Amino acid sequence: MRQTRRNFLLNGWKLGGALLISAAGYTAYEALRPLATGAGRGKVNLGEVKGLEDGTATYFPEGRLYAVKAKGDLFALSQKCPHLGCTVPFCETSGRFECPCHGSIFDIGGEWIEGPAPRGMDRYQLVVKGGTAVADTGTLEPGPDRGAKEYRSPPTGPSCIK
Amino acid sequence: MAEEGRDALEPGVARPGSGLVARLHRSDVWRSMFRHPQLDTPRGRALQSFSNFFLHVYPVKIPARVLRIRYSFRLGYIAAVLFGILTITGVYLMFVYTPSPTVAYGDMQHLKTGVGFGQLVRNVHRWSAHLMVVVVFLHLVRVFYAGAYKKPREFNWVIGVVLLVSTLAFSFTGYLLPWDQLSYWAVTVGTNLVHYVPAFGSTFQDLLIGGDQIGPSTLLRFYALHVAVLPGVLTIMLGVHIWRVRKDGFAVERASAGAFAEEATNRPLPGAPAGFYGGRTRLLGVVDRESVTAEDRPVDDTVFTWPHLVARHVVVGLGVAAVVLGLGVAFAAPLRGLANPNVTPEPSKAPWYFAGLQELLSHFDPLVAGILVPTGAVLLLVLLPYLDRNPATEARNRKVAVLTFGGLAGIAVALTLVGTFFRGPGWRFVAPWTHLYLEL
Repeated sequence: MRQTRRNFLLNGWKLGGALLISAAGYTAYEALRPLATGAGRGKVNLGEVKGLEDGTATYFPEGRLYAVKAKGDLFALSQKCPHLGCTVPFCETSGRFECPCHGSIFDIGGEWIEGPAPRGMDRYQLVVKGGTAVADTGTLEPGPDRGAKEYRSPPTGPSCIK
Repeated sequence: MAEEGRDALEPGVARPGSGLVARLHRSDVWRSMFRHPQLDTPRGRALQSFSNFFLHVYPVKIPARVLRIRYSFRLGYIAAVLFGILTITGVYLMFVYTPSPTVAYGDMQHLKTGVGFGQLVRNVHRWSAHLMVVVVFLHLVRVFYAGAYKKPREFNWVIGVVLLVSTLAFSFTGYLLPWDQLSYWAVTVGTNLVHYVPAFGSTFQDLLIGGDQIGPSTLLRFYALHVAVLPGVLTIMLGVHIWRVRKDGFAVERASAGAFAEEATNRPLPGAPAGFYGGRTRLLGVVDRESVTAEDRPVDDTVFTWPHLVARHVVVGLGVAAVVLGLGVAFAAPLRGLANPNVTPEPSKAPWYFAGLQELLSHFDPLVAGILVPTGAVLLLVLLPYLDRNPATEARNRKVAVLTFGGLAGIAVALTLVGTFFRGPGWRFVAPWTHLYLEL
């Protein structure tokens, strides 16, 4: 098609409009994306590794996580359920993580046992330095797949949600 | 002098009254606002429509069948009335409410204890919101069974789907604002559904809630969406929706084939170029040299909108207001304890209109239940008028469409009912008559 002046100008306006809309869209993205330095994105000191007892979970509200020791291994488990984001409490009687929202149950190592959760509990990276464990809440790693049973043991008592 | 002249326009109808009101009605100031007297003649009724901005939304005359309640059950109109009530009560609430986690919950309590009728306004707002979701859904079902999404109304159906999605977004964003345990966890569960979108899930969720968990930025953006963005979208789209109903005419007449007969409008007007508006020309749209009253119809079954439809709409509107006021007086909107991110109540349900989705999610893979099903449902609704090319509007001539739609809608309703009424702590099956885990 021959490029007439009228056509050229018309396409120019369209291009200008498209640019304006993309600029508005990007501005909306900038306004809505989370701030880079959001809360809960820092290092949490979990204290002496020796102080943690095997098969127990200690809650750290500043990191919204549990420090657990399972069969000698140390984990920093996020309290947010991988199913729909509910807060998963640790059930002292059964020695498991049991979500009251939708009934997902995880073992002490954060591995999936039952319920609708698609995987085990998500965990933060841990660094042990000079006998002190530090969790980095900026690095969340997805939990193990449903099949994992490495840390599973029979419940120590009655369930909290059944 | 001028006064007699005006009344003389309608000889024998306008009685030259002598009282104060009659004199007021004849005054120049009154006539500057209302240009002609209200006359109960055909011409007077038509004038009423022509000279009133607000009546412009209606056609001047409508087919008499539209007046029957069974024609539409007034569902679209009721949804619009509810939107109006929600706007008014919402503005009241805006004067009291601050969208900040430290203040919001206190504002809700202040509404109850410190503002006259404050709790009632909130109750009415909440009940209207729930009802609007129900009514919009019923409107969609009604329009489907009437086949009123068929040519030439395909695109208006699509706009209707946009309005349905906007209504759900409205309700969902408003759900968070009280900042109590109910709203906090319902929105946590609801927004976590987005997480299952492949590849972009986290990004979408970040944009939606502005962080790893529901927090101050979530509350602020939900508030902005609820009081600024969505009202704008819904108002504009509703305007277009109603305008298109007005232009396409009411889908009433059924010919023997079952399709809407539009004999009065499908025939090109003499003198209009062929193919003009696709060969269709409309009353009051394009006017030939002939007067519109000269347009001949086989039988004139039309009545004036003013007063016949307007009066019915006023009655239905007042009825809707009475219902939501009654609900507001009888049932208080729930307010649980202050939102606490560390304590999850059991069970945590998404708002009831998403409970079906949550129910589905407990049976199927998240990708299927959380993403494919809802996306597919909206897509299917949008594409429906373009996939269903059958022009028939009677159920017996479109069995496949009716059965498919009925089946899918039935499944959606059943899942919603199960998720809302039959699920208790740990999402275990609970009969609703033993204990109802439902808060609206």
